[in-house]
Amino acid sequence: MAERQTVDARGAFCPGPLMELIAALKLASVGDEVEVLSSDKGSVNDIPAWVAKVGHQFVGSTELDGYWSVVVKKAK
Amino acid sequence: MASKPLFIMLASGEHEKIQLAAMIASVAAVSDRPVQVFVTMNAILAFRRGLTAEQRYHGGYFHEQFVTKNVPDAIDLFEQGKMLGEMQMWACSLVLDLNHWDAEKDLVEGLFDGPAGLAKFLADAEEGELITL
Repeated sequence: MAERQTVDARGAFCPGPLMELIAALKLASVGDEVEVLSSDKGSVNDIPAWVAKVGHQFVGSTELDGYWSVVVKKAK
Repeated sequence: MASKPLFIMLASGEHEKIQLAAMIASVAAVSDRPVQVFVTMNAILAFRRGLTAEQRYHGGYFHEQFVTKNVPDAIDLFEQGKMLGEMQMWACSLVLDLNHWDAEKDLVEGLFDGPAGLAKFLADAEEGELITL
């Protein structure tokens, strides 16, 4: 059964949130979702571009109270 | 279509340029792009084993902010690029010889794939894109 885990990368600057996402995806199973919490706006824009490049699935991003929640599904 | 390999020649010892090289290398490597990094000249001094961040990094307008804020450490980024992607790092054999350094004993442990000469790196770089910092 697919699972979702959250990586709290708030406070980390570029490319910290992306690298933390990738490390989490590496350990996840296909179909799992990883949510990254990031206060770095550049990373919020970078993550969907990276996801498209490598072939995972971008689920969406939501702006919260001074940070963003970005969700990615492991597709391969 | 597979991405062209990326070759980075890092010669500057300035923290900003080492940081940029680490960012480019790690992000490219985790984006399914093979990366090779050749470290030479002043830049090799930042890769000496056993240094603190204060000893390792110098120079550039953003240097102070890199070390005082939560910006990923350049050495950590290179290590992550190697761990999560396809990336190799080479230490210039000229500067190692001049400093009487051994790539396995004197540089950050586990980071370099060995010493290398410029001619081979340049020949390999003809297959991809070369960035010099």
